[in-house]
This record gives sequence, C-alpha cells and structure tokens, in this order.
Amino acid sequence: MWAILSGIEGNLAAYEAVLQDIYHPSHAVEALYILGDMVGVRKESEALLQRLRFSESEQLQPNICLGWWEEQCLILHGVGKTGEPTELVDLYGRDILKPLWNAVSRESVEWLRGLDFGFVELDVLMIHGSSISVSEALTPETPPWLMLDRIQRMQVNQLFCGRSGRMFEYFVQEGSLVDSLLTLDERQTHTVMSPQKRVIGVGNVGREPGQASYTLYSPYSNKVEFKIVMY
Amino acid sequence: MKIAVISCIHGNIKALNEVLRDIDRNTCDKIYCLGDLVGYGLYPNEVVETISALAIPTVQGCWDEDIVEGLNACECSYPSLLAERRGRLAHEWTDRQMLPENRDFLAQLPHTLKDNNLCFVHGSPLSNHEYLLPQIDSFTALERVLSSGADILFCGHTHVPYVRSLASGNLQVRLTEPQRQEHLSFAAPLKRIVNVGSVGEPRHGRPNATYAIYDTQTDAIVLREIEYDYQSVCAEIIEVGLPPIFAWRLARGLEFAEKADDPTHICQR
Repeated sequence: MWAILSGIEGNLAAYEAVLQDIYHPSHAVEALYILGDMVGVRKESEALLQRLRFSESEQLQPNICLGWWEEQCLILHGVGKTGEPTELVDLYGRDILKPLWNAVSRESVEWLRGLDFGFVELDVLMIHGSSISVSEALTPETPPWLMLDRIQRMQVNQLFCGRSGRMFEYFVQEGSLVDSLLTLDERQTHTVMSPQKRVIGVGNVGREPGQASYTLYSPYSNKVEFKIVMY
Repeated sequence: MKIAVISCIHGNIKALNEVLRDIDRNTCDKIYCLGDLVGYGLYPNEVVETISALAIPTVQGCWDEDIVEGLNACECSYPSLLAERRGRLAHEWTDRQMLPENRDFLAQLPHTLKDNNLCFVHGSPLSNHEYLLPQIDSFTALERVLSSGADILFCGHTHVPYVRSLASGNLQVRLTEPQRQEHLSFAAPLKRIVNVGSVGEPRHGRPNATYAIYDTQTDAIVLREIEYDYQSVCAEIIEVGLPPIFAWRLARGLEFAEKADDPTHICQR
C-alpha cells in the first residue's frame, strides 16, 4: 500500500499519530507520499521540516512535493514564482505574514525550493493542487469536465490531491459526446466515449484539532481506503 | 446580426485589406480581431493603424505580447532550433519597425473579449499560447468552451480554420466521501469552437486568407477563404532581406518550412 497524505500544516502531534497508524503491520505500507502543506503558521513547522528532511532512520522515507503553504513561504522569502504574497494576504490578511516568516528558517526555505511539483507513478499523478496550479483546489463540487481535463493533461488515469483538505473519490465512470468538425475542405462527425478517470482527495493531517485523515492506496488492486486517526 | 472574426494578420496589410473588402461585401455589422497583428509580415504599423482606426475590438495575441514585453515573453514552441532562430529574426525586424504609439496600442489589448454568449480569445481561455487544434481531445475541447462561459468560443493562434461542434455531452460520476456515496449525472448543452484561421500567415495548405462570419439570427457559422495577391507580398519579403523561407511558406500556406530536427524541442524563451 501507499500512504498518501497532505495538509500537516506544522501539526507535529497529528503527524506522529498518523505515522503510528501507517506503520501498523496490517497496512503493509511500502511507500509514503506527502502532497505538500507540511508547513503552516504553527511554530512546530520548523521542527516538522527537520523531521522530514533528516528521516533516513525512519521506517519509510517520505516522498514530498510542494504545497500551497510552501509556495507562500517561497514568495515571502523572495524565491517564489510571484513577487508578492497576494493570495496569502487575500485569504488571511497581512497579520499572517510575520508568523509565517518566523515559522520556517531560511535554511529550510532553501530545501523547500528543491521539492518536486508532484509525482507520476504508474498511472497515478500525486500533486498538491492540480496539474495546472498548486493553488487550485479540486473538490466534490468541481465539474467533471474540469476534472477530466486536469487528469488528461498529465496522461494519467488517477489524480491524488490534497489542496482542499477533503477526503473523497470522484470517479468519472462513463460518458459521451457527439463531435463534429467542419474545415474548409470536409466535415466529419463521430461519437466519442469518455475514458474512466478518478480524482482522490486524500484528506488532511493537521487542520482539524484531534482528528487527522489520510489515504491508503493499493497500486495492485487499485483500491483506496480512507483513514481517520484520532489523537 | 452578422459578426466577422479575423485573426493572425501578422503585418500582412494586403491580405487584411482584401479581407476587409470581403467583410464589407457580406454586409457584416461587427468585426472582432483575435490578435497577432504583427510578426513575420512587412507592415506591422499599417496593420495596427488600420485596426485602431476602424475601432475593431481586438484581443492580444502571443506575437503582440512578445513585441510589448520583449522576446522572453514568448512561450510558443518551435519545431527546431533553426525555426526558432528564424522566428527571432522576425521578432527583431518587427521590433525595429514598431512605432511607440502602435506598441502602446498592442500593450493595452485585453486577453479576452465577450459579447453575450460569444467569447473571443487568441489561443484559449487559459492562455495566449495554448493551441486549440482540431484534433485535441473532445472532452478537453468541451472543457475549454465551458470554462469561457460562452456557447461559442472564437480563437486563432493555430492558423488553421475549423468549426467544431460538441453536442450531447454527458458524464456519469460516482462520488464517494467517508459518510456517503452518490451517483451524479452531468449534461452539457451544444458548444462550439470556431478557429478563424489566419488572415496574413495561413497554414491550411493554401496561401489564401481565412476568417469567419457568424450570423446571430440563423446561428450559422461560415468559414471564408479569400484570395489576394500573395505573390507580391512574397516578393517584398525577399526584397527587404527577411529569410526567403518566409516567402516560400507563405506561398504554400504551410506552418513550417522545415522538418523538425527534434519534435520535442521547446522554445527556450
């Protein structure tokens, strides 16, 4: 099984509880993926990052990709994709800037810069937001046409994401449309069947006090199991 | 009402004038332009001044953005390093010709225009640099129109004209959350993508200019192909000292004058 989690947001206690659950022998977890948002404004963010960076002695070394909070840290420190933390301020107000600056060391910011945007393993994309942006939140309310587009951009069959913090399986089972093309020289019409694709929201580890959620996935049976851990 | 939509003029004033005459003959009430007024062709200022004088609502194309922002703004891919070098030559030549007021005109162009249930973009609603080719996945094409909020999405950028109708779209979704499971059905009404081709740099295999006319009363879309004196334009390209290959491909209505050395090459800009 793969354990896929997101949204730790510096909540070290929640992360420890989830690790304990992951390491339970019945789960037979062979790989650990963390889809971003390891940091937040909690003071423990730096301690969590140190734990993740120096995890050689751990049972499983996590595969980690960038999340929205990491992107905001990079912007704050002048090494992000944009110059101003506009999104951060719009969502949380300017009062968030100092706590976030203080939550992560400059050394850790340099480490965050080297993180992957996401992972493609077998026919699975694991990413924080979506295939177009770390900020885009895919949710159960997202229209299926958009879900299909985000999956098909990466030529995969499944997309695991964590931006919304929600836990869900969105399975596009079937569909069709009639496609007619007229050019200067000819006209063609055919019916196209939709492919079967799936988007999984993996939950969040650290947002809700006392309750962490994450996802187990078996690449052999293609089965998904949602896990809730009280701590 | 009849709406004419033109795109990708690329400094080809002769082709533009011929298209405008055809639009007049067809008694169109409005014209929209989908950008790329400049680049490759020899009359970038004249084209901008014509569009501006006629007050034609226009969106910014990738070449227009390139001229305004500088070469590094371009994210278009070329099939080879050779093609990229030639494109750079065309950019630098155009850059030298542009008058400041015309550059300012290009700078203030919007990315998108809307008119009731119609949307006008250069590449796609997401990006000036995305090619909505006729063979892109059907559901992807439908998503692009849906994301624009329009019933008909007019675009350019590919220089190959087509009308794509996407009808009877439906999807069945099974949604599972920890406490519930639901089966959902989604249906999409008829949506269309109209790529109007190119006035000044056609790539549909013939040198003629193309554009589209949409009749709001009949809901009909017509692709127009207009002949013009492309031979004299080709002769001028060579006289001015631009790569003769630009004249060669204009005469043939081709996209690329050479085969790709490396089809996976991405423009380094």
